[in-house]
Amino acid sequence: MDRRVTVSAALATTLLCGACGGGADTDEPAFRAALLTSGPVSDAGWYAGAYEGLLMMRDSLGAGVSHQQTRTPAEFDEAFLAYAADGYDLVFAHGFEYQDAALRAGRQFPEMTIVVSGGGRVTENVVPLVFTLEEGSYLAGMMAGGMTVSGTVGMVGGVAIPPVQGTFRAFEAGVFAVNPDARVLEAYIGNWDDVSAAKEAASAQLRQGADVLIHNTDAASFGVFQAVRERVAEGEVAWAIGMNRDQNGIAPEVTLGSAVIDIPRAFLATARSWQAGELGGVPIYVGSSRSVIDFVPNPAVLDAIPAGLLEEVDSARVRIRRGELEVPRVHFVEGETEEG
Amino acid sequence: MRARPFIAIMGNPWVSGATALALTGLVAAASLWLGGFDPLAAFASLVRGSLGSPGAFLSITLVRAVPLILTGLAVGVAFRAGVWNIGAEGQLYAGAVAAVWAGLHFGTLPAALLVPLVLCASALGGVIWILVPAFLRIRMGVGEVITTILMNFLGIHLAAWMVRGPLQEPRGIFPQTESIPLSAQLPVLFPGTRLHLGFPLAMGLAVLAWGFYRWTVAGFRASAVGASEEVARVAGAMDVNRVLTGTFLASGALAGLAGGVEVAGVTFALYEGLSPGWGYTAIAVALLAGLHPLGIVGAGVLFGALEGGAGAMQRNAGIPSAWVSAVEAMVILSLLAVGVASRSRTAGPPTTANESGGIVAGTGGSDEDPGHA
Repeated sequence: MDRRVTVSAALATTLLCGACGGGADTDEPAFRAALLTSGPVSDAGWYAGAYEGLLMMRDSLGAGVSHQQTRTPAEFDEAFLAYAADGYDLVFAHGFEYQDAALRAGRQFPEMTIVVSGGGRVTENVVPLVFTLEEGSYLAGMMAGGMTVSGTVGMVGGVAIPPVQGTFRAFEAGVFAVNPDARVLEAYIGNWDDVSAAKEAASAQLRQGADVLIHNTDAASFGVFQAVRERVAEGEVAWAIGMNRDQNGIAPEVTLGSAVIDIPRAFLATARSWQAGELGGVPIYVGSSRSVIDFVPNPAVLDAIPAGLLEEVDSARVRIRRGELEVPRVHFVEGETEEG
Repeated sequence: MRARPFIAIMGNPWVSGATALALTGLVAAASLWLGGFDPLAAFASLVRGSLGSPGAFLSITLVRAVPLILTGLAVGVAFRAGVWNIGAEGQLYAGAVAAVWAGLHFGTLPAALLVPLVLCASALGGVIWILVPAFLRIRMGVGEVITTILMNFLGIHLAAWMVRGPLQEPRGIFPQTESIPLSAQLPVLFPGTRLHLGFPLAMGLAVLAWGFYRWTVAGFRASAVGASEEVARVAGAMDVNRVLTGTFLASGALAGLAGGVEVAGVTFALYEGLSPGWGYTAIAVALLAGLHPLGIVGAGVLFGALEGGAGAMQRNAGIPSAWVSAVEAMVILSLLAVGVASRSRTAGPPTTANESGGIVAGTGGSDEDPGHA
């Protein structure tokens, strides 16, 4: 290990501690947990779920919590340093982009545990938290395959990274499971928050005949829902499917359901296993077997969905949970190819 | 005569800066209070997080100031000679791409060779990125405002393509490059901090630029061309095109270096979205400093403190980042307004040259020397 890294931990802590005396709270929290996001927690999806998880740690585990939205990679190291200096025990870095900075910080601050959502590398105190959202996407794909009239469905992604590509491969598999002749369109907008780019991509797929669209973006998802809404307003039939969080309420009249990650539940479970001293060294996989991943049909449009299709989806869900149905996945954690 | 003392006082950059900060502070506090946040806690964490301790000052404020000083110098050098380089952002990205490429490609070289090589590569990247606008302006008279802005988009997309294509990390999974080897990284100045060699480098270049304008004929020529290109041409005492060419190249090199220093000193790898818009903030930095090279160091440190403190406002006072950005923008706006207004008042009636800092540059800007660290 490099010399400047080893001394940094101690010195940074002493130096920065002047900056951290903010906690005038009378009772000391059970532990300190922080959340780093690269996007706004008002996205009603990926980041909103993480923020909710942070607040649940505060409310049910008595944690002292803090959140920072980082804008650039240059801020990653700074945020880890500041949280380490402030005595935070557990930092949830909610995105693969944090992994290199997390590894550096993990080396520098061995007392701190960093959980990297969708991360690809493991050490004793830097742990990837991998959501097997593929399981929910597969069920969403079945729903899309069963509901499409045109035989074409579409997928609008943020950035083409493995966790996103994985959900799309699973979605396709689900579509083909019920509708082998379907056509599946795929587009990436290159970021997570650009609502108009997502709307543009969604509209393009709708014009190409797609009538069920799923997304895997963050705040940009509003653009997908809007495009579907406008299509329906023109008198066409079109449906949207939400992702990452229960988004059935965003555009209830045109949304079939959502492939959801119960991020708060996953965060809480992770924090509990950290408290029990069980966290570290191995990646955490959370899926439908732990009730973290699911597909939630939209209750507002249940009448429009054939009962047979719903039954089919339900039986697939049970088979996935029992391990009888294997959903395609993209493996990206270094040195791991099977579920840990 | 009555108004003279007032103008003299307002013309003092310290007084104008303090007035601006006080006014902004009031407006920002009011808006935070209306939003249901505690303004005092917010400002306390802003100050604590940026200046509150040697660690915060060295590891956060000064580290954040480095890219702002370097791009600020790029803009300052250009604007002084009447070259409206709005393209520091793209040049920065080109420099970052070149730096990462050099760092990875020549990774086996010892640090003594590799670090200078990486920095030179980044400066060269910035120069390449400004060549087209320079050529179009000098040879064909195409305004560089448009062309440098357009080159920004190309630079940003160049980086986006590189992290998915030629420079993507070897596993080919994530849109980023591999980290450059330790021997390509800028050494840290004080163990235990994040402050790297980039800061003294930026300071040195600022002093160099200051000396250039103050002592050299070439510096005088650059300022003369900036004051009026027409007059400089008619006077015939100088080769205006040569001055412009030198200005373009120096400006591009400085902005490219900002990208290289950021990659070699802070992020160690290339990512999309590397810059939050430093190339644009640089314009505010340079104008606030009245294009004075040493003033740019001060303005860069001020902006660095503001941005570093903004992060602490989120972490320690729970202010959402949107509010923090709004407060930041308010501070910048009022600093610029008061700073530029006070300068043009002391320098006589506002003309285009004065307002943009043109040739009256030397009269303003803060003379603070944050280099004591």
